[in-house]
Amino acid sequence: MGVAATIRPRRGADARYRTTLYLLLAPFLLGVVVLVVLPVALSIGLAFTAYDGLSAPEWRGLANFRELAVDPLFHIALRNSLVFVALTVPLRLLIALGLALLLSRSRRGVGLYRVAVYVPTIVPSVAYALIWLWIFNPRYGPLNLALESLGLPAPAWLIDSTTALPAIALTALFTMGEGFVVVLAGLRSIPAECYQASAIDGAGRAATLRHITLPLLAPWLLLLTFRDVIVSAQSTFTPALLMTGGGPYYATLFVPLLMFETAFDHFRFGQGAAMMLLLLLVVGALIGLTYRAVGGWGYEDEI
Amino acid sequence: MARWPRRAGFHAAALGVTAVFLVPGLWVVAASLRRPGLPPPATIEWLPDPVAWSNYARIFEVLPLARYLANSLLVAGLAVPLTILVASWAGFAMAQLPARVRHALLALAVMVRMVPLTAVWLTRFLVLRELGLSDTIWALLAPVWMGSSPFFVLIFYWSFRRLPVAMFEAARLEGVGPLRIWAWIAMPLARPAVAAVALLTFVQYWSDFMNPLLYLRSDDRYTLALGLRVLQQLDATNWPLLMAGAVVMMLPVLLLLALMQRAFWPAADGERAGASLGRLGA
Repeated sequence: MGVAATIRPRRGADARYRTTLYLLLAPFLLGVVVLVVLPVALSIGLAFTAYDGLSAPEWRGLANFRELAVDPLFHIALRNSLVFVALTVPLRLLIALGLALLLSRSRRGVGLYRVAVYVPTIVPSVAYALIWLWIFNPRYGPLNLALESLGLPAPAWLIDSTTALPAIALTALFTMGEGFVVVLAGLRSIPAECYQASAIDGAGRAATLRHITLPLLAPWLLLLTFRDVIVSAQSTFTPALLMTGGGPYYATLFVPLLMFETAFDHFRFGQGAAMMLLLLLVVGALIGLTYRAVGGWGYEDEI
Repeated sequence: MARWPRRAGFHAAALGVTAVFLVPGLWVVAASLRRPGLPPPATIEWLPDPVAWSNYARIFEVLPLARYLANSLLVAGLAVPLTILVASWAGFAMAQLPARVRHALLALAVMVRMVPLTAVWLTRFLVLRELGLSDTIWALLAPVWMGSSPFFVLIFYWSFRRLPVAMFEAARLEGVGPLRIWAWIAMPLARPAVAAVALLTFVQYWSDFMNPLLYLRSDDRYTLALGLRVLQQLDATNWPLLMAGAVVMMLPVLLLLALMQRAFWPAADGERAGASLGRLGA
C-alpha cells in the first residue's frame, strides 16, 4: 500500500475503497448489535425488573436475585447444570483427544472413520433426543436388551431419578465432533521437526506424546474446554425438554429449561433474565478458574 | 515386518470406534421398520420380521409432515446463500481493513462466539417481537444478519488472509472496486471455505429447534424439528413412527456430510478448509 501511495496520489480512490469495505461489514455489525449486544443489554436491565412481556417493566431492584437465592428449584437447576458440566466437559475432551490421536495420521480409510465419529454430532438435536429416549427405554430400548443378554443389571435410566442425569450426560459424550476436528487441526499444526527431533533423541511413543504432543496441544485443549463449558450452558435444553421434561423429581431440571418455563410459560421475563445473568456469572467464573488453574495459555497463539 | 500387526491394530481400534458411533443408527433404522403395536422385542432386532415400510407413509398422514419438510427446506435454503453473503463480506472487509480495526473486529467476533444462545434468546425474542417478526420464518432466519455465527465470518477471514495481498493490490490499483474483487478474485479462491460454511449453515438451520419452538405459533409454518416434537406429543410410545420421523430428519444432513466430507477434513493433501474449520474453538 505504501508503495502504491508513493507512485501516485490516490487518496480519493483509497477512501472510496475503504468506505465500501465498511459497507460490506455493515450487515454483520448491525446483526451483532440487534441480535447479541442489544439482547444482552436488555437482559441485564430486565433482571432488575418484573416484566410479563405485555405491560411496562416494573423496577424491583435486587428482588429477583434475592428470590432466586432462596428458590429451591433454582438451586436444584444450578446444581444439576454444574454436575452436568463436571461430568461431560472432561470426558468429552478426553474422548475427542483420544479419537483425534487415533485418527490423525492419513492412512487408507481414515476419512471414513472420521466421518463416523462426526455423525452423532451432526444429527439434529430433536432427532438425537428422540433416538436416545428410545435407546434408554427400559422395555423397548436396545440398551437394556443388550445389558440383559450380557447378564448385567438393567437400570430404568431416564425414569429413575438417580440415573436420569448421568444418562443425559452419556448422550452428550458422543457429540464431541467439533472438539475432535479442533484437536485434529491442532495436531496438524505441530511442526514435523518436533517429532523428528524427539525420534533422534530416541523418545518412545509415550514420551513423545507426553513431552511433545500434549504440551503443544495445550492451548487448543484449553480453548476447547472454555467452549465446551459455554456450550453445555445451553446444550441441556433440548434433551431435558424432550427426554425427561426436567424430571423425575427435578433430577434433570437444568437452568436453561427452568429459564424457559419461567419466561415463556409463566411470563416472568425479569426473573428469567436474572437466572440467565447468574448462569453467565457462574460460567465466567468457571472459565476464569480453569484459566488460573492451568496457568495461562502455555504460549502466545495468534488468531 | 512389524508394520502389519500395527496396521491391523489401528484398523481394529478404528472399526471398534466406528461401530460404537454407527451401530445405534442401524438399530434406529430397524426400529423404524417395525410394525407398530407389537410387544417389546426379546433381543435386539437387526431386521424386524414383517418390514413395515408403511411407517414412513404413516408419519406423513398423521401430520402435515410434507408441509413441515418444505418449510425446513425453505428456511435452510434461504439461510445458506444469505449467510455466505453476509459472512464472506464481513470476512473480506476484515481481511483488508487496517490492523487496529481488524484486531477490534476479531476480538468482537470471538466474544460474540462466547455468548451462549441461552443468554440472549429471551430478550432476542422480545426484540424480534417488537420488529414484528414473531411467527414468521424471518425470525428463524434472523441470525443470517450476523453471518449465522461469528465463526463463519472468521472462516472467511482466515481463508482471505491466506491469499497473497499483492493480488488484491494489483486489482485495486487497476481501479477495480471491492465488490468486484470479492466476486471475481476472493470468492473463487475461497471455495473450500464456501463449502464448509454452506454445510454447517444448512445443518444449523435444518436442526434448529429452540428458535422454531420460541417463535412459531401457526402450525402451517412449523419446521420438521417442531413436527417431530408434535409427533412425540401425539403418541410418545409409538417408537416405530418416532424413529421413522428421526430418520427422515437425519437423512439429508447425513447425505450432505457424506457428499462434502472432502471439504471438511484437514486432509493430507492440503489443510485449507479443514485448518480454518479446525480453529472452531476461537
